[in-house]
Amino acid sequence: MAASAVTAVRGWSGLLLGVRSVVLRLPGLTQVRWSRYGPEYQDPQIDKGYYRKPLAALTEEEKYERELRKTQVIKAAPATRTSSVFEDPVISKFTNMMMKGGNKILARSLMTQTLEAVKRKQFEKYHAASPEEQATIERNPYTIFHQALKNCEPVIGLVSILKGGHFYQVPVPLADQRRRFLAMKWMITECREKKHRRVLMPEKLSQELLEAFHNRGPVIKRKHDTHKMAEANRALAHYRWW
Amino acid sequence: IMLKGMTRLISSVHKAKHGEQHEGQHYNISFQDLKTVFSHGLPPRFVMQVKTFNEACLMVRRPALELLHYLKNTNFAHPAVRYVFYGEKGTGKTLSLCHSIHFCAKQDWLILHIPDAHLWVKNCRDLLQSTYNKQRFDQPLEASTWLKNFKTANEHFLSQIKVQEKYVWNKRESTEKGSPLGEVVEQGIMRVRNATDAVGIVLKELKRQSSSGIFRLLVAVDGVNALWGRTTLKREDKSPIAPEELAFIYNLRKMVKNDWQGGAIVLTVSQTGSLFKPRKAYLPQELLGKEGFDALDPFIPILVSNYNPKEFESCIHYYLENNWLQHEKAHTEEGKKELLFLSNRNPGQLERLCAYL
Repeated sequence: MAASAVTAVRGWSGLLLGVRSVVLRLPGLTQVRWSRYGPEYQDPQIDKGYYRKPLAALTEEEKYERELRKTQVIKAAPATRTSSVFEDPVISKFTNMMMKGGNKILARSLMTQTLEAVKRKQFEKYHAASPEEQATIERNPYTIFHQALKNCEPVIGLVSILKGGHFYQVPVPLADQRRRFLAMKWMITECREKKHRRVLMPEKLSQELLEAFHNRGPVIKRKHDTHKMAEANRALAHYRWW
Repeated sequence: IMLKGMTRLISSVHKAKHGEQHEGQHYNISFQDLKTVFSHGLPPRFVMQVKTFNEACLMVRRPALELLHYLKNTNFAHPAVRYVFYGEKGTGKTLSLCHSIHFCAKQDWLILHIPDAHLWVKNCRDLLQSTYNKQRFDQPLEASTWLKNFKTANEHFLSQIKVQEKYVWNKRESTEKGSPLGEVVEQGIMRVRNATDAVGIVLKELKRQSSSGIFRLLVAVDGVNALWGRTTLKREDKSPIAPEELAFIYNLRKMVKNDWQGGAIVLTVSQTGSLFKPRKAYLPQELLGKEGFDALDPFIPILVSNYNPKEFESCIHYYLENNWLQHEKAHTEEGKKELLFLSNRNPGQLERLCAYL
């Protein structure tokens, strides 16, 4: 009791540097997780090329920026971000979303098996196709993955707004991050729920990714359904106040 | 950096002329050979790669070259010499074995290839009490699949070799003395109950007749440490079965002994399928145990290690030629250095890395 009173007093009197104390309040945004870093903390620079540039090659602005960084506080780099050339933030985010119970090893292996399955399927198609079609077939699993997720992103979304005791589904423009998140979420839930018990995740995921790449398949259908609902509830757009 | 055409040997170069200057280069195996000689025995990831690329390319490496040199200079009057490939996981023991099998098949030897001895000592659904000897056990399924593959590999020999004894299968069927070995194989495939005994007869006849000089016999066993290890199979009363109580293992041990002439025995010891062996064990002494080592002694051990820099470059070059490395950064120097670091030049690891890049 005495200890907690002491800590509460300390928190108020001398504001500890870096601890977030101001909380943003907006109806559409509920703060479920926040970082312990304050706004003055800068993101870490992981790019190897940035540090390998010889001093002579830097412009005035870059030299100034480097001097500035020496005075700033920098966040710790998370263990998932590497300086590998093959690293992709979208793939990392997708792997994290697929992860269950902290089993990153399993999630990563599923991801790599999916990319391999996509690649092998595309190579099959390539060898079976005629020379004119071979130029159109895309074999890079990363471009297929990025394009598929881009095709799955909804343009407009629905939000529940409480008005007069009832919740109404109001069409609302979505931020970039929210759209990317929804695309990945839909893809993962679709693959988890609509697959047969004996079918493995990489196989189902690769199938869905290839279909989304060609703008068909259930995830694209869900995106279109969201758009249609938003179009149908067009009249309720005035309920939005931001 | 190697020239574009240099990593592929022109297929007109005959297998017998693989020499040290070809080290690091890939050579093609025709689809015909794949269907006959390698109907079983290639590692599953390699089979997937063959299916994806529509071609089967093996790299010529030093351990395989060494073995081919010994095979070329074997004296067929002396007892068969045993060669054992050993090495860490993923270094290429099975593929070196397959290289030597392909060489011998081209030289028209009789190939006796057991793809993975570990498959016989674990996960067997149906164990029958052997008809020949009440103490031992039969494995009908595995024996019949092996006989089918053996038949496709050595069609032309089966009609030439004649059985030297009469074998009675049951009250109604028997094989007369002097009938071709193909009949015994057919009998094993059709009557699945007698399949293990058919395999035993094939092994006995081949061993007896190999010194006569009509054909040269190559015995190739992958994972030979399974013959002397432990099994995970149990009897109905849950008591464990020792490997010598399995009829197939018993006959195979007789085959791997060097008391016959007219051929060679090429073996691999691997931890990957083995039972009750620590993961880091790769030396023959550790994997074979005392019993196995004494039974195989003396043998010629051949170490299969990771790629040297030249072979690594060649492998990357092969993948780039087939457009297997699709990631943009994989073509750069940075990417290659990273692949080298991540795989530690281990062939198996490199293959798994390049699969998703």
